[in-house]
Amino acid sequence: MSDREIIIAWLKRVERRIRTNRLFRELTFGSTLFFIFPLGLKAWDLFSPFRARTLTIFFTLWTVGFGAYLVWRLLQKGTIGQAAASVDTKAELHDEIKTALWFIDNPRSSEWVDTQIRRAARDAQAINLDRLYPRNVPRTSYLAVAMILVFVALNFVPLSWNHNWLTLQAAPAFTLTDKEQAILELTKELLIRAEKLQQSELAKRLEDIIQKLEEGKIDPSQAAELLEDIQNQLGEGNLDLGSINEGLEEIAKDLQQFEKTRATANALMEKELQIAADELRKLAEQLQKNESSKELEQSLQQASENSRPGLEDLTKDLKEAAENLKNRDQQNAQDALQQAAQELEKLQQKMEAQQLKNLAGQQLQSLEQSLRQRQQNGQQSRKDQQQGQPQSAQGEKGQAEQGDSEGSSQQSSLGEEGQADQLSRQPGEGGAAQPGSNEGSGLMPSGQRGGNAPREGAPTELDVKLQAEKLAGMKDQGTKPEDIEEASKQERSRLDYRNVKSELSPAQKDLLNQDRIPWEYRPLIKNYFQAIRPTPGGGGPAGHQQNSSSSRPVGPTPTDKK
Amino acid sequence: MSTAIDQQVETFQEQFKRVREEVSKVIVGYGEIIDGVIMSMLAGGHVLLEGVPGLGKTKLVSTLSDVMRLKFSRIQFTPDLMPADITGTNVVQEDAMGEKFLEFQPGPIFSNIVLADEVNRATPKTQSALLEAMEERSVTVGKRTHKLDSPFFVLATQNPLEMEGTYPLPEAQLDRFFLKLKVDYPTKESLHTILNRTTKNKEPEVNRVLGQGEVLDMRKPVRAVPIARPVQDYAIRITLATHPRPPFALPMTYKYVRYGSSPRGAQALVIGGKIRALLKNRVHVSCDDVRAVAYGALRHRILLNFEGEAERVDTDTIIKGILESTPEPN
Repeated sequence: MSDREIIIAWLKRVERRIRTNRLFRELTFGSTLFFIFPLGLKAWDLFSPFRARTLTIFFTLWTVGFGAYLVWRLLQKGTIGQAAASVDTKAELHDEIKTALWFIDNPRSSEWVDTQIRRAARDAQAINLDRLYPRNVPRTSYLAVAMILVFVALNFVPLSWNHNWLTLQAAPAFTLTDKEQAILELTKELLIRAEKLQQSELAKRLEDIIQKLEEGKIDPSQAAELLEDIQNQLGEGNLDLGSINEGLEEIAKDLQQFEKTRATANALMEKELQIAADELRKLAEQLQKNESSKELEQSLQQASENSRPGLEDLTKDLKEAAENLKNRDQQNAQDALQQAAQELEKLQQKMEAQQLKNLAGQQLQSLEQSLRQRQQNGQQSRKDQQQGQPQSAQGEKGQAEQGDSEGSSQQSSLGEEGQADQLSRQPGEGGAAQPGSNEGSGLMPSGQRGGNAPREGAPTELDVKLQAEKLAGMKDQGTKPEDIEEASKQERSRLDYRNVKSELSPAQKDLLNQDRIPWEYRPLIKNYFQAIRPTPGGGGPAGHQQNSSSSRPVGPTPTDKK
Repeated sequence: MSTAIDQQVETFQEQFKRVREEVSKVIVGYGEIIDGVIMSMLAGGHVLLEGVPGLGKTKLVSTLSDVMRLKFSRIQFTPDLMPADITGTNVVQEDAMGEKFLEFQPGPIFSNIVLADEVNRATPKTQSALLEAMEERSVTVGKRTHKLDSPFFVLATQNPLEMEGTYPLPEAQLDRFFLKLKVDYPTKESLHTILNRTTKNKEPEVNRVLGQGEVLDMRKPVRAVPIARPVQDYAIRITLATHPRPPFALPMTYKYVRYGSSPRGAQALVIGGKIRALLKNRVHVSCDDVRAVAYGALRHRILLNFEGEAERVDTDTIIKGILESTPEPN
């Protein structure tokens, strides 16, 4: 191996070593710089969670940038000339290697040049490359590793609002509040239970809507419209429970006339349709014993005349049983009664499903209103920001508080406990006195069907919260514009008007009309609660402190509504 | 494996070391000055020594001549000194037949080592008498040109303080000096040594260690030392940077310099670098070598403009800026 080859080979080794060290140093330094961004973003995420789309864009750009940096640095190769210059500097060879390399590249016939190259080769071989260019770990690599560890640790910070990016978790585009989440869960449960009773895929649709909303594919207003569609779909084919209940009561009254059908009648009166069906089956078994059935025939005949929508099949079976009894056809009469019992069971299932659907529809309406309200709040805040109003923050806070209060009012009317009670309640269990569709809180103004209801107390007063509306006006004849704030007289109330027919679906009306308290007992219960109500002056019940409670108006005061 | 070149280098270093040691017996300190003077002589150039009186400039030259067994002459430059007093002149002679003829009487310039003491005190006319001798190594008197012996080495001194009644050397004259060395005041320790040596009955004696032939032999390897193109390029860039012209000029150069170094300055950088490389036991010139001789080789070749003269800018400052701003080749 000639001196020239020795120098070239050695310089190539040096160049590789320099490049390796440089790459390691630059990559760790670059990594440290690049890791600042995701680390900072993660720290920011702990205070203000980022959506998946934001993170996707960020990490895409970050990866592209980091990759470009890596490629850029990896493609940068040094020359052996640079290696020679580096060696000359580090080993204090006074340009010996550099000069030798130049003479190797530019050969010259000279003993002096040969001597110079020979000396350079000798000095190069004497250099310990590991000592001149040691393979040491750059300090920045420790920093880079530390930043990675911190980044990983931040992802596992046990905070409820923290999202682990390492498991591809991110804040959804739209986050349901706890109340909305509770409503959603309840609605889904109701729909699933309703699905078991009837065919429907509404729960799946509901999940899809919420998922799209959380992913940001639809905005809250679109989600509210889709929820409204589901509500409309829930309202399709609904039973008129009021009419059915009235029909059942009339059937029960007819059946009470006969002693053997009295048990069935009582069960029907209590809306215990399963018990009523069992009683009908017992009655059918008794028919096999060829007992006298004249009274039964009349009773069934009268009951079958109470035909109401939804009860056609039942009355048809009862009529068939009556006719068969009249014709002394015990066997067919028995079959007809069995058929009637089955109809009652079917009716019970339908009513149960109807109630579940009603509850689900009600929850969906609450959810829809909540989404619309948040959409409206968002638009209002953006509008305020565009107008540069300084009180925007205050306005947002006010709206948020208003939204919370609204949510709480909804929650109070449809609280979880109440919902749970409604869920646990079986259809017909509390329906001893199903009011008509116009029956409400017992304070009916005219009460066509609720004419028996007592009319007492002051008329209902609703707390109507009106939105502040800003009007641009001119002060006198001047040129300076002035904002005038006042309550709009035409603004819609933010409280839901449950008694407004046009805004309620049949399912909702049925749900609202369910009342477990018979009319007869309502005044007593009302008087009782008013008597035990604490007075502002003292802590005791009003009835205990003053006997004039009985002379007070019995109707609810405005505070009662609150 | 030792080669002939290695032996040449070794011999060069040894002889150079011997001369330096002998001169150092008389001249205290001034190691760089001594090295510069010897380097200039080996490079075939001349040296301009600048320093206040009494620093041993003349002593240095006379000692060097003693050490090298060379013919030495000293010319004290005065305002009434004529060129013929330096070069010599034709005088009328009679032969045995009584016929008269002109015979050339050589002046003090006909020596190996010429000390031109206080060279700036002579008129420019007289100063110019040195031009041909310094560059052409010959003297023309009348119609005849007389070759000077080799080696021919002019050592000129000048006093930077007493400027009254002096004639600054013309640029052409300055450019012919290989190096301009500044003789600074000796340090306290050096003064102790000087007093110890010069206040006794017996002054130190030097040995003649180098003959005329040996000096000429030492000159041979100097120019054989190879220099790589990048290093030579570095020397050229430094030289060009002394000119107030793009692309290498510095702002300072633009401001204070009227004219930069001639190509002789680049030659001085390279040749001085080669000698220094040999002294450092190298057979190649490095950028360090170029930088080491840059001050001596360039300081007298940079002509300041009016602003530079008015602000009394030192050319060493400009050279320092140039060296700092000129990158080494990679």
